[in-house]
Amino acid sequence: MNVRRFLLEAAALIAAAVICALVSNALAGRERKMALVGVYPNAQKVPAQATETTAVTATVVTPPVTTSSAAQTTTIVLPATVTTATAAPPKTATTTTAAPPPAPVPAAKKTADLSRFAIHPDKQYVEIHYDDVKSLHDAGVLFLDARRTSVYEQGHIAGARPFSVWESDIDDKVRKLYDERPDEKQQAQPIVVYCSGGDCEDSHMLAQKLWGIQFNNVYVYKDGYPDWVAHKGDTRAGSNP
Amino acid sequence: MKRWLQSPWLTIRVQLALGVFFVAAALPKIVDPPSFAHMVYNYRIVPGGMINLMALIMPWIELLCGLALILGIWTAAARSIIAAMLLTFIAAISINLARGNAIDCGCFDPNPRPKSRAERLDDMRFVIYRDLGMLLMAGQLWYAARRDD
Repeated sequence: MNVRRFLLEAAALIAAAVICALVSNALAGRERKMALVGVYPNAQKVPAQATETTAVTATVVTPPVTTSSAAQTTTIVLPATVTTATAAPPKTATTTTAAPPPAPVPAAKKTADLSRFAIHPDKQYVEIHYDDVKSLHDAGVLFLDARRTSVYEQGHIAGARPFSVWESDIDDKVRKLYDERPDEKQQAQPIVVYCSGGDCEDSHMLAQKLWGIQFNNVYVYKDGYPDWVAHKGDTRAGSNP
Repeated sequence: MKRWLQSPWLTIRVQLALGVFFVAAALPKIVDPPSFAHMVYNYRIVPGGMINLMALIMPWIELLCGLALILGIWTAAARSIIAAMLLTFIAAISINLARGNAIDCGCFDPNPRPKSRAERLDDMRFVIYRDLGMLLMAGQLWYAARRDD
């Protein structure tokens, strides 16, 4: 066997694959396109295997020593002294003209007491379960769906916006959300993120991205959309929240 | 036995079968790279910055090598790359099996149906045997090529 020829053929196959991959990604639609270099802080961290039991209390997750921001904004962590500012009841009218319509939540329920959902700037997210999620949903809090957009369109929590962490426009969406909520008070409003429950980690990854740009009151709906459906929660289908 | 292993009759069939396997494995991943990136992420082996690149490029390598085997061009390079990929897959699955990280392999379908942990572990064992079988096929191609050299 001619070694030189063999190596040239192998190199040509791999080079052709790289070119095809880059071209197909460049031509791909929004839902299929990916950033060439992704940001996955826990990419080599093996998760603890999920058990079937469900915790009753919220689980607090502390951040790793090093964090990275998916967006182009800074990764400043607010000092612990700001914890005196408890989360105010959300004002859902903070959307910009480019934002999707607000969640269809009855106005009377927006006065719900959310004081127990205080900001936690030293934690990336807090895991919560159905009862807390329901309270937050009834209060009109922003919900973000971290699953793929195609799955979102099949069915999602009413009012939730599609924020798939695996699609190329996730950083733009996170940045846009930051633009919608530029000041500290707005960033202190609770945000609930969810995916498919079980061992799905997309919601945790999205929460890490949000925490990285100063959203410090993010809650992960641990059991995710299947649990919401099982509790007969309000759902929508299609591309609108 | 040696003559049979090196026979053109067997070699052409093994080459076609291996090529079809890899083309079939590549297409669903090329169609949906984000789902495959998710699969790669689940292995917890690849550095975060490499996941998307790997998810984009690897299916195309599978496709082109599979096509090369089917069409009978650059077969030495194609079967060597395929053998290297199979060894990598076997190692990746074995590592996760050893550390109890139950994952979907994402080999032929980057959007698998939800499975229990036990089902996933069973599937991982099956995948190792299947990949070993395909590695034997690549070995047969290499062995038959020695006759021609």
